[in-house]
Amino acid sequence: MKLSINGKEVETNGSQTVTELLKEQKVKWPDMVSVELNGTILKRETFASTKLTEGDKVEFLYFMGGGCVTN
Amino acid sequence: MKKHTLAIHGGYAPDAETGATAPPIYQTISFAYQTAEELSEVFAGTAPGHVYTRITNPTPYALEQRLTKLEGGVGSLVCSSGMAAITCVVAGLLRTGDHVLSTAGIFGGTVSLFKNTFGRFGVETTFVDAADTEELANNLRKNTKLIFVETIGNPRMDVPDIPAIADLAHQAGIPLVVDSTLTTPILIQPKNWGADIVVHSTSKFINGHGNSIGGAIIDTGNFSWSDGPFEDIRELAKKAGQLAFLAQLRNLIYRDLGCCPAPFNSFLTLTGLETLPGRMDRHCANAQQLAEFLQKHPKVCWVNYPGLPSSPFYARAQKLFDGRGGGLLTFGLGNRNAAFGFINATKLAQNMTNLGDAKTLVLHPASTIFHEFGLDEQKSMGVSEDMVRVSVGIEDFDDIRDDFAQALAQT
Ligand SMILES: Cc1ncc(COP(=O)(O)O)c(C=O)c1O
Repeated sequence: MKLSINGKEVETNGSQTVTELLKEQKVKWPDMVSVELNGTILKRETFASTKLTEGDKVEFLYFMGGGCVTN
Repeated sequence: MKKHTLAIHGGYAPDAETGATAPPIYQTISFAYQTAEELSEVFAGTAPGHVYTRITNPTPYALEQRLTKLEGGVGSLVCSSGMAAITCVVAGLLRTGDHVLSTAGIFGGTVSLFKNTFGRFGVETTFVDAADTEELANNLRKNTKLIFVETIGNPRMDVPDIPAIADLAHQAGIPLVVDSTLTTPILIQPKNWGADIVVHSTSKFINGHGNSIGGAIIDTGNFSWSDGPFEDIRELAKKAGQLAFLAQLRNLIYRDLGCCPAPFNSFLTLTGLETLPGRMDRHCANAQQLAEFLQKHPKVCWVNYPGLPSSPFYARAQKLFDGRGGGLLTFGLGNRNAAFGFINATKLAQNMTNLGDAKTLVLHPASTIFHEFGLDEQKSMGVSEDMVRVSVGIEDFDDIRDDFAQALAQT
């Protein structure tokens, strides 16, 4: 299915849930990622049960670069 | 996976490229990127990556993942020391004019940090008897922004009613921070009793071999950062969700204070962590037997150990710590001379200001780590002139008992 991931259009390879998508996209540090689905931040315990649908907007956000949080 | 397995396998699988089974020590300051775009994406938070060891490094990161799993949390941050971990938590949540509510009888360094160091920045702390949950409630103020407890107060050995205090904190809309250094995730997962943030001095039982100072902060996921009284973290929660507090630390407080651990220390701590569950079983079993031995000894005036039925905290410790009393105990010999005489006569036990080592350690707290506090203050902290503190090691119990017996005979 087609998803928008961090603003880029991506054709996924069978992932049905957020957990599967994290694996499929080889997200390297899954413990450090926050996932936003269509504008809503997901609770970590719902990653496995949250189903994806065509056209979903997914944002992976990391907080490990040291960029200033206040700007 | 359960605790013994997680301590060995949690959060790190053999390195994909090399197959290294022990987490490699990334002894580097910085990490190079091929393109300017890639590095800018990491800074923007749209791509993951290690940038600079003051912020993240793969070796401490492996330790963070393992601790997160062992505590059942949503994420962790490891620090250069236990004090650095507590400093980050307080500096990350509080501002000038805010108030900390803490139990008394906790580690002297933490008391000093709250009272003296944060006191300089206009953060006030009230210390309340850990046994008195009602008194804690009475000392909550409008500007109280966190409640701090130790699972077992070091050295007062009292065990606070963590679930009741968690309720109290949550009714006030503030987080409960639990220092679980003495219990480690093996005796208690504070998350299951309502705690919001767990801190550890990993220098103690987690490292277990007295070779690496370190600390850790684990967010249990219990506190809703999008609702709390922390405006900046609330704002951040719109993007970071449950990781908002850790993100605020990582990208601001921890980064700015420079609290990062040395990768080599994280490596040694990871190695120690593998055997933590087995060591804790033995620390507790030896401490239990030593407490019972001391209690029967004619020269010993008193023994304070939460695993003894004579401790007022026995029932609570049994409930919270899965039937165990921990690896630390204190006992009294009547006066300072006798305490000094005993310490000088031990042969196996070593006299030093540490705990949680594989070796049995003894200390006279009043003249060492508490010497800066006056007598009255020492008393409220649970320290007396005749007190010996013992961190019971994992040697054969018979050898520990024989050493104590011969030292007591000379006292
Ligand atoms: C309960 C407790 N918390 C925190 C600390 C501070 O840890 P560190 O020495 O790693 O800074 C200690 C050290 O003795 C401790 O016993």
